[in-house]
Amino acid sequence: MATPILMENPLRQGLFADRVPAPCSLVIYGASGDLTHRKLVPALFDLYEKHLLPASFSLIGISRSKISDEEFKQGLKVALKESEPQLSDSLWNSFSQNFHYMAGGYDDFKTYQALSQMLDQVDQENGTSGNRIFYLSTPPNVFENIISNLGAAGLAKEEKGFARIVIEKPFGHDLESAQELNQKVKEVFKERQIYRIDHYLGKETVQNLLVMRFANSIFEPIWDRRYVDHIQITASEDMGVGSRAGYYESSGILRDMFQNHLFQVMSLVAMEPPVAFEANAIRDEKLKILKSIRPFNENTVYQWAVRGQYGPGYLSGEKVPGYREAEGVNPKSNTPTYAALKIFLDTWRWHGVPFLLRSGKRLPKRTTEVAIQFKQPPNLLFKTNVSDLSPNVMVIRIQPDEGITLKFETKVPGMSMEVRTVNMDFRYGTSFAEGTSEAYERLLLDCMLGDATLFIRGDEVEAAWAALMPVLNHWETTEPERHFPNYEAGTWGPAEADNLLEKPWRKWRRL
Amino acid sequence: MAVSAQMIEKDLAELWKSDPGEKTKIIGLQRVYTTNLVAYASDHEEGYRADLIMNDLAEKHPGRYILIRPAADKSEAPLRYYVLGHCFFGSGREKKVCCDLIKLVAQNEVIENLYGFTFSLLMPDLPVEFWWPGDLPYQNVYFDKMAEQSNRVWVDSSKFKDPIQSLSRLSAFWNSRYPHTLLGDLNWIRVQRWRALIAEMFDGEWAKYLKDVKKVSIAYGKGTQPTRSFFLACWLAAQMGWKYKGKRISEFPEKFEFEGPQGEVEVVLTPVPVRDIKLDRIFAIGLTTDGNQPALFTVIRDEDPHCVTARSEINQRVAFTRTVTFEHLQSNELLNVGLKHMEPDFIWKQTLQVIGTVLEKPDLTLV
Ligand SMILES: NC(=O)c1ccc[n+]([C@@H]2O[C@H](COP(=O)([O-])OP(=O)(O)OC[C@H]3O[C@@H](n4cnc5c(N)ncnc54)[C@H](OP(=O)(O)O)[C@@H]3O)[C@@H](O)[C@H]2O)c1
Repeated sequence: MATPILMENPLRQGLFADRVPAPCSLVIYGASGDLTHRKLVPALFDLYEKHLLPASFSLIGISRSKISDEEFKQGLKVALKESEPQLSDSLWNSFSQNFHYMAGGYDDFKTYQALSQMLDQVDQENGTSGNRIFYLSTPPNVFENIISNLGAAGLAKEEKGFARIVIEKPFGHDLESAQELNQKVKEVFKERQIYRIDHYLGKETVQNLLVMRFANSIFEPIWDRRYVDHIQITASEDMGVGSRAGYYESSGILRDMFQNHLFQVMSLVAMEPPVAFEANAIRDEKLKILKSIRPFNENTVYQWAVRGQYGPGYLSGEKVPGYREAEGVNPKSNTPTYAALKIFLDTWRWHGVPFLLRSGKRLPKRTTEVAIQFKQPPNLLFKTNVSDLSPNVMVIRIQPDEGITLKFETKVPGMSMEVRTVNMDFRYGTSFAEGTSEAYERLLLDCMLGDATLFIRGDEVEAAWAALMPVLNHWETTEPERHFPNYEAGTWGPAEADNLLEKPWRKWRRL
Repeated sequence: MAVSAQMIEKDLAELWKSDPGEKTKIIGLQRVYTTNLVAYASDHEEGYRADLIMNDLAEKHPGRYILIRPAADKSEAPLRYYVLGHCFFGSGREKKVCCDLIKLVAQNEVIENLYGFTFSLLMPDLPVEFWWPGDLPYQNVYFDKMAEQSNRVWVDSSKFKDPIQSLSRLSAFWNSRYPHTLLGDLNWIRVQRWRALIAEMFDGEWAKYLKDVKKVSIAYGKGTQPTRSFFLACWLAAQMGWKYKGKRISEFPEKFEFEGPQGEVEVVLTPVPVRDIKLDRIFAIGLTTDGNQPALFTVIRDEDPHCVTARSEINQRVAFTRTVTFEHLQSNELLNVGLKHMEPDFIWKQTLQVIGTVLEKPDLTLV
């Protein structure tokens, strides 16, 4: 797709970096924070080095901390040096020449008026053409304040150029607050101006799910209830809650991982082919999947949802404390750090096929993957016991070591008819010289280009919350079935998760 | 005994059976092929360098690598071969990734005829990249047959002894003779980053200055051929629709002119002494406009030898500066960049067409 900038500037044509955004200013709220330092600015630097940052670009950081332009830049430089130890002064100075900082309260209207003036001045001096992106990288309790003030200051209007708003996760705390936030943001911005981030969608392998499914003709015919026994989606972390205990206590694993990342990955795995590779066509199909999730009720919430919390244990041979012992956590906390859900999608394609989703903290390792487990062959020609047979499995590894593995049966060489399972393995890291880009790099670039394909639409967020609310409500109003902590740090979660499997041949994958 | 493809394949199969992983306690070993890369070295020295480069490339583009090189000693057998497994750690670290390298060492009387043998060694269904590291040959059967059968041929015009004749020949005969084969030039990849830096100065509201460009000045390292500078000038002409208006040239001139939609555009190539000739042969480029608001767009090597700075001045006021890293790319890195992209490079094709209008017509009887 030729971007406007390519059409205006013929010299851009044919350069490998041909997705070049138009000049713009990026305003980051909460710029003194961790995300800006560790993710956003390093991602911008990578875009800069790849000639993908527009020539006229400026960054304005806003937060309450009273620091000067120079202190702000110095802080960013120190953080960038962590990932770019070779960074020279001339390179840094050139990259950051149009970086500015403004101290101010998120509820102080004067800050927004001053910002408006500053943006006009930057447009004149740097040629940023009135294009603006507002990135909300603060804790969510100030999102609404910032949004309404941006509206009041006229900054959401698209008079000279575009105005876009990027909203970090979490988008809402439950269905009601997500609806409220959607309403607030839509009072000020139109849906096409809104970019709700789920950084999982920026990951290369997640995007490859679409390519794998819809650029090949061999998978789609077997991608349904006739051939698929069940699908497992796992996102495990070996880390504990660390310094995020405060946030975690009020959110828990369902809000932190399921409502956004796991549900998004599930939608991409399960959706129907979109009519075009275009933001709304793809999001329409994802929405249908989220809406087709069979609602949890008083009975199924027991049968299809398992919660857990880690106690003390060992990771890599080292003793680690339990969740309740972390600083900032209530010693009687019932916040789940593990969940496993069995989800049924009431669609023609997936009728009766369980989607088994699990995620947890302090599991043995950090892995995210999708495993499609196919049905057994109908006729047991080579084995007599069903349990001797290994089903075909296709695994799409999202992180680390991105790639795809297909597991199938072969004959062991020799006179007897011995059958053994082998893996056919494709790894991104070994087949392509190009390293995969950081998710934020891709998402920032797409937002500058106005491509919302990898961002979540308002109705998707609400559908995801709606599906999850019965489980959340139930868990928040009842005691766990078995007292927490119910799994040891460094293990694969509570044993109850096995109850979701239902059939003897189904097992949680050992990763 | 005559060498056959079956013998080579058998040796390779043996090689992979004796899993080198076992000795180093590596859990798994995985063979990966993403491409075929064939290189033909015309002399011993070139063969040695091509060998090193292929070893390095194998890690980035695992595939079947075939290197043809002349025997150093006349008394050796007409054709000898070596098979080598090339293994390295992939990104996952727990597995070794392997691919293979076949070296064919041949006496002069057989070497050109090894094309059929090469075909039999190629991995089916994978693209064939043919790399010719030396001077563009005349009437070389191997080159001709491989160019017909490959997906792409890579040359390096910085290695051409007579760049004007050779480029003029490539421009004149490539499309008609090898209509299904792409032509890549590593020297063209070297100018890519210069193109990017020049291009980004004309984004957005600065695009309007492009049509007013009246003069293109390029400074290049004294004592070298200004082939890359010439590429840049012809690329600008191709993209801007400038037409060459002078006499066809048989050596690189200091000045030449194009006719643009808004009048004449002068190109000046100036040799300048540079500290380290290896860094790059282009030292600086400047584009001057003569519209209502005179503007100057420059890309110049920085004091820091690893950086260059792009800068534009409009009405004598600095409108834009940007410094970026700019490491000198070796042949392996250039090939690495080239191999990543399979699609035709139309801009190179158009530039080569412009080059064909400027240079003296080639003697096609010699092709
Ligand atoms: N860090 C990550 O890796 C990550 C990953 C995914 C999503 N996110 C999301 O991205 C956003 C920013 O993350 P972050 O880690 O950068 O957050 P952070 O460091 O906790 O906060 C960012 C900035 O917001 C301001 N702030 C903090 N607490 C505030 C409060 N109660 N009221 C008003 N302002 C407050 C602070 O700046 P001042 O005090 O100077 O105003 C702080 O520097 C969050 O919504 C987070 O959920 C972060």
